[in-house]
Amino acid sequence: MADQETAAPGGHDHDHHPTGWRRWLFSTNHKDIGTMYIVLSMVGALVGGAMSFMIRLELMDPGIQFNLFGAGEEAAYFQFYNVLVTGHAFIMVFFVVMPAMMGGFGNWFVPLMIGAPDMAFPRMNNISFWLLASALVLLLVAAFTQGGPGTGWTVYPPLSSAEFHPGPAVDLGILSLHLAGASSVLGAINMITTIFNMRAPGMTIHRMPLFCWSILVTAFLLLMAMPVLAGGLTMLLTDRNFGTAFFEPSGGGDPVLWQHIFWFFGHPEVYIIILPGFGIVSQVVSTFSRKPIFGYLGMAYAMVFIGFVGFAVWAHHMYTTGLDADTRAYFVSASLVIAVPTGVKIFSWLATMWGGSISFRVPMMFACGFIFLFVMGGVTGVALANAGMDIAFHDTYFVVAHFHYVMAIAGVFAMFAGFYYWIGKMCGRQYPRVLARIHFWSFFIGVNVLFFPQHFSGMAGMPRRIPDYPDNYAGWNYVSSIGAFITTASTLLFFFIVWRTLSAGEKVPANPWGEGAKTLEWTVESPAPFHTFEELPDMTDKQAAE
Amino acid sequence: MAPMRTDNRKKNRLTAMVLFTVAGGMVGLAFAAVPLYKLFCQVTGFGGTPKIASQPPAAAPSDRTITVRFDANANPALPWRFLPEKTQVTVRAGEPALAFYRATNLSDAPLTGTATFNVTPFKAGEYFSKIDCFCFTEQHLAAGEEVAMGVRFFVDPGIFTDPNTQDVTTITLSYTFFPATGGDGKEGEKPQQVKAPAPAPVAGRPVKG
Repeated sequence: MADQETAAPGGHDHDHHPTGWRRWLFSTNHKDIGTMYIVLSMVGALVGGAMSFMIRLELMDPGIQFNLFGAGEEAAYFQFYNVLVTGHAFIMVFFVVMPAMMGGFGNWFVPLMIGAPDMAFPRMNNISFWLLASALVLLLVAAFTQGGPGTGWTVYPPLSSAEFHPGPAVDLGILSLHLAGASSVLGAINMITTIFNMRAPGMTIHRMPLFCWSILVTAFLLLMAMPVLAGGLTMLLTDRNFGTAFFEPSGGGDPVLWQHIFWFFGHPEVYIIILPGFGIVSQVVSTFSRKPIFGYLGMAYAMVFIGFVGFAVWAHHMYTTGLDADTRAYFVSASLVIAVPTGVKIFSWLATMWGGSISFRVPMMFACGFIFLFVMGGVTGVALANAGMDIAFHDTYFVVAHFHYVMAIAGVFAMFAGFYYWIGKMCGRQYPRVLARIHFWSFFIGVNVLFFPQHFSGMAGMPRRIPDYPDNYAGWNYVSSIGAFITTASTLLFFFIVWRTLSAGEKVPANPWGEGAKTLEWTVESPAPFHTFEELPDMTDKQAAE
Repeated sequence: MAPMRTDNRKKNRLTAMVLFTVAGGMVGLAFAAVPLYKLFCQVTGFGGTPKIASQPPAAAPSDRTITVRFDANANPALPWRFLPEKTQVTVRAGEPALAFYRATNLSDAPLTGTATFNVTPFKAGEYFSKIDCFCFTEQHLAAGEEVAMGVRFFVDPGIFTDPNTQDVTTITLSYTFFPATGGDGKEGEKPQQVKAPAPAPVAGRPVKG
C-alpha cells in the first residue's frame, strides 16, 4: 500500500499554486474556494445585517421614523421597508448561512475530515462559487431596480405577480434565486460524490465525523429541494412575463399551489440551514468535552430522519389556507414527530458533556449558546406546530421570534463556533481570546434582548412585515431594538477580531485543542497546506473518528 | 486500497450522473405538481372545489335542509355588474335546485368573461355538486347586454353523515368573473381553457334579461 501512496500522480509540488487573482478566480482548490465562500458570507452578513438593523431602527418607536422618500411618499417607503425585509431574509439564508456552512466549512473540512485530497469535481466547485457570487450581485441589482422586490422571501403571488409587482425587480430576484439554486445543486452533487467515493481507506461511512454526516444529509436536502424551488420560480416567471396562469385565478390557476410548491422547498431549506450547525456543534462539543460523541449512530441517523421527515411537513406553514381538519391533524403530528430526532441530538450533546473534562474555550461557549438557543426555538416550534395555536399566531412576531431562535441565531452561533474552532487551521493563527469571549457574551446577550421580547409582541398580536404599529406594542419593540444595537456592536467586534486574528494572532500548532480533537484535519499542520492527503491516510486500524 | 483518481473518476461521474438525474426529476415533479394538484382538488373537494355531476342523484332526497348562499364578484378588469338574483335558498339535501345570477355588460364593447368558483366552508366542496353551470363555459355579453345565468346543483346528503361537516348549516357558493382572455376580455380573441372539464353546457344563457 505504501508504494501506491507514494506513487500518487499529479506532479504538483506542495504549495505550488497560481498566484494573484488567477489563484482565486480560477481556483479549483477546496480550501481556497472554502475561503472565498467564507469571505462572501461575511460580505453578505454585513449587507443583510445592515438591512435588519434598519428594520429595527424603524420599529424602535411607533409611527414612521425614517421616511427616506419625503412626506406624501409613504407608499414608496413602505415598499422600501418590504424590500428590506425581503432582502434581509434572502441574503441571510442564501448568501450568509448557506455559503458559510456548506460552501465555507463544508469545502474546507469535508475533504480534510474524510482524508480526500480535494473535492470530486474541483472545477464544478469553482463554478458553484461564482454562480453564487453572481446571484448576490443580481439580488442587489434587483433591490435597486424600480422599487425592488418587496415580496417577502416567500414570494407569494398575487403580491409577487405582475399586477402588484410590475417592473423587472421581481424577475431579477427570481433569476438570482435560479443562480443560487443552481450553485447549491452543483455544490450538493459535488459534496455527495466526494463523501461517497473519496473517503480514505478505512474511513467507513459509519466512522465518518458527524460534521461530514451533516453535510451529506444537507446536500441531499439541497439536491431534492432546490429543483422544486426552481420549478416553482420558473412558473412564477412565466406567469409574470409570458401569460401562463399557474398561480393566476383568472386563468384557472391557484395562488395556494405556489405556497405548496414553495414550502415543499422552504421547509427542507430551514433544515439545510441548521443541519451543518448540528455537525459543527457535535465536533466542538466532543472536542472540548474530551469524549467521543455520545450515541454516534443515533446522532447520524437522527439527521437522516430529520431530512426525510422535513419533506413531509410543509403545510404546517399553511394552516391558515383552509386545510381541513384531517389534513391539519396529519401535518401537526408529522411536525411534532420532528421533536424526537432533535431531542435525540440535544440529549446526546448533553450526555457527551456529562462526565466529560470540559474546557469552555470560545468555540465551546458558542456551541453551548447554540444548544440553548436551539432548545428555546424548538420549544416555541412545538407550540407553533399545533394548527390550533398557529392560526392565532400565524404571521405574528411570535413566529419571527421562533424561527430566529431556532434557525437564524442558532445557525449563526454554530457558524461562530465553527469559525473559532477552525480559524487556527484555516489561517494558522489563533483568535484573541479575551476579545472573542467578549464577542460571545455581547452577542449572546444582544440576540436574546433582541428576540426574546418578540415573543411578547407576537402574543399580543403584533403582525410581521409592517413598519408601523399601535402604541401598545411600543415597550417590547424598544427593548428589541436595544438588543439590535448590542448585536450590531458585537458583530462589528467580530470583524475586528477577524482582522486581529489575521494580522496579529499567535501561531498555532497542528492541533491546538489537545486530545479531544481527534478528527483528521488536526493531523495536518496549521495552516493546512495547499495540498493535503496526496497520500491517503490509512484509517483502517483507527478508532471511529467522531 | 484502490489507487485513486483514474479509478475514482469513472465512479464519480456515475454518481454525479445519478444525482443530476435526481435533481432533474425533482424539477419534473415540481411541474407535475400542477396537474396533480388540480386533480387532487377536483377529486377531494380541496379548497372548496365543488364536484361536477352529470345527473341528479338517484336516491330520494333527504328530509334535512341546508341553506345555500350566493356570492358574486366581478374582477375590476371586467366592467360587468354581476349579482345573484336571490341571495340565498334553502334546499333539501339530494334535491337538485336551480339558481340564477344576473350579469350586465356596463361597457360599450362586447366582452367575454369566465368565472372561477368555489364554496365555503372548504370542507363542503366534497358534498356540493354542480350539474350545470354558466361557469363551465365562457360567457359573451354584447355591449350593454344583460343576461340571467343559471346554475343547477345539489347538496349530497352525505354531508349530514360525515363527522367533519356536522357543523355545516350554510354553504356559500361564490363566483368571480374575470376577463376570459389574458388582458381585457374583448371579443374575437382566442377563447381560453376554462378550469373545469365541461359537460354539455346547457345552462349557459337560459333566460334573456
